[in-house]
Amino acid sequence: MNQNLFSLAWREAIRSAYWGKSLATTIGLGFLAVYFSLCFLVFGFAIPSILVKSFPNSDPVSKFNSIILAYFAIDLIIRQLMQKLPTVSFKPLLLQNIRRRKIANYLLTRSVFSFFNILPFFLLFPVTFTLVASTYSGLSTLSWFLSIGILIYCNHFLAIYLKWRFNEAEYGFFIFLAGLLCLFAINHFGIIDLSGGLGKLLDLVLIYPALVLLIAVLPVLLYFMNVQFLSSRMFLNLVSEKQKAETVRDYSWLNRLGETGRFIALELRLIWRNKRPRSLAMMTLFMLFYGFMIYRAQPGNEIPGFAFILGGIIMVGMFSISYGQFFPAWHSNYFSMLMCQRLTMKQFLRSFYMLVTVISVICYLLTLPYAFLFPKIIYTHLAMLLYNLGINIPIMFWAGMYSKKRLDLNQSVVMNYQGVSATQWLGALPLMLGPIALFYLFKLVFGETGSFIALGTLGFIGILFHSAIIDFFSKQYRKHKHQLIQNYKNS
Amino acid sequence: MIQIQNLIKAYNKEIVLNIPELTIETGEIFGLVGNNGAGKTTMFNIVLDLITASKGQVISQGINVRESEDWKDFTGAFIDETFLIGYLTAEEYFGFIAGLRRLSKAETTAFLEGYSDFFNGEIIGKKKFIRDFSKGNQKKVGIVAALMGKPEVVVLDEPFANLDPSSQYKLRKLIKDFAAQNGSTFLISDHTLENIADVSTRLIILEKGKIVRDVPKTATTLQDVEAFFKPVVEADIY
Repeated sequence: MNQNLFSLAWREAIRSAYWGKSLATTIGLGFLAVYFSLCFLVFGFAIPSILVKSFPNSDPVSKFNSIILAYFAIDLIIRQLMQKLPTVSFKPLLLQNIRRRKIANYLLTRSVFSFFNILPFFLLFPVTFTLVASTYSGLSTLSWFLSIGILIYCNHFLAIYLKWRFNEAEYGFFIFLAGLLCLFAINHFGIIDLSGGLGKLLDLVLIYPALVLLIAVLPVLLYFMNVQFLSSRMFLNLVSEKQKAETVRDYSWLNRLGETGRFIALELRLIWRNKRPRSLAMMTLFMLFYGFMIYRAQPGNEIPGFAFILGGIIMVGMFSISYGQFFPAWHSNYFSMLMCQRLTMKQFLRSFYMLVTVISVICYLLTLPYAFLFPKIIYTHLAMLLYNLGINIPIMFWAGMYSKKRLDLNQSVVMNYQGVSATQWLGALPLMLGPIALFYLFKLVFGETGSFIALGTLGFIGILFHSAIIDFFSKQYRKHKHQLIQNYKNS
Repeated sequence: MIQIQNLIKAYNKEIVLNIPELTIETGEIFGLVGNNGAGKTTMFNIVLDLITASKGQVISQGINVRESEDWKDFTGAFIDETFLIGYLTAEEYFGFIAGLRRLSKAETTAFLEGYSDFFNGEIIGKKKFIRDFSKGNQKKVGIVAALMGKPEVVVLDEPFANLDPSSQYKLRKLIKDFAAQNGSTFLISDHTLENIADVSTRLIILEKGKIVRDVPKTATTLQDVEAFFKPVVEADIY
């Protein structure tokens, strides 16, 4: 039976129009996976000597045990952002002779094969052999290794359980972050020594190897929590969850902006009334705080120039990049209707351009207070604002012509996990790395300040020609429309 | 007037639509019937330039739909629910389409009022998004939106499907009245022979992409068409 379900998933993947493109993303992700695996491996071999050097007075193994909780906390956050949830379109399966529990088991089994469950072992193996095995008996080492392995899977099942939950109530993620922050504070200020507690437990495992059996209970519990949750969600009334009496916001004031205003109103409604674009918009707000992370002066170390590029492009351009990389697929559900109407493509491009411009300028103004930290942010962010509007947006328009995958906005949130995995960040990479590469290129010629000016000028030229660019792309989209309609239908 | 000339649509050399010559006169309610896979939706999609023909052309009111976009000015269409914007309420959707068809707010309200009987009080004034409507009500929204701005050409693919019996009767009248008032050309397909025979002024039967019958409406049209689709075995019994 499970075999059947697996073959269904396989066919769904290879028979979608998205396949070719997803192959490319898979290769991209594959490179990242290899890179991170190597990093972890190297780091794993380096850990023993780092621990001995940094904490000469304590036992390196128990030191390692006591900081492992921090790793799990970070892992949990990364998993929330990156890990892909397995899905199955269970509606046709419900009437078949398959138990709900079976579908849930299948989903969870599939979820186990995730890179995030393999990656930590690249670190764990070298640590086990170089650090633990040298001081402890074979049995102790084995049970220690197993304990941590089990904890990794605990984290996995906890992560997907939370992810399923957050998917229904998107504010959950922020509550979760706040909760983690509280736990961090409790731990940091020594109210309760959480990480020390886990460390002591792992120390005990080394002394009494049988304790591993106790730890093994945890993932089983979490697994059944997941099964319970999933089985309770496989009902049709939850699939097409009826909207509660909608508070329908009025955007008619935008009609005063004429035709473009009407399209902007449509975009705003799209963002506000659908889960996926709404969480992107929320992420944009969240990213405004990125500056506190990246603009931190280390004593003696100057902040490298690319950090200003990255900070600028992420804080000012987050919305346009995350929203724009799926242009025009946001409208894929009703794309053929639009193609029966007059002049829509041009209006769409223009309204998208205007919306992004307004939001980017607002983001720019909101990030200006960072200038108290570094005055030059006033012009570095301005350069990035101009570059993003002048260069990145045309690039996204160009990429949009080859857009393949339909975004299913109409689906309700249950079992709709589009855009919750690492893939959605991959498309943004060239848009962020491009200006960094150009920055270093220009720096060779004009120096650092001159390089910012050059980037800004480049963007400014793009903005000057924006209506010609929009005209050009609206013609191109018209040429590509049959292909787009077909792609959206088949994906 | 819509002229179809030497139209061929093939997928991997398998011909799914082959119409050498077809002229649909202005004001005609053109009914298209045929079993699944006969090419009805394909033909409509080509008329709307949503898919490309392998050969031949469609000329709508003198405009080749592949070459110019001007046909969009006088064409209204509803193929399936992918023509609806799910996250809008019905009023917002009508408002959006009205804007594209350059109708004022007052004109839109007056226009929609004319269909309040068809809507049966379930569409307008509900604070509900179209994606939460039932299939039948979604269809009603799509059909009425296709009629906005008094288009000269209206394309409706299976408009009667999913509608309740009384709405089907209302829709028959609605289409006939609209055509009589505005002189619009209708292209309609459906599987319920009774509906399509009642509403159309000319009937065409498609089979495997080819036109096999082309009859103007007479008193016996329904019987003729029914006889065509009835299995032969059953006829032998009598």
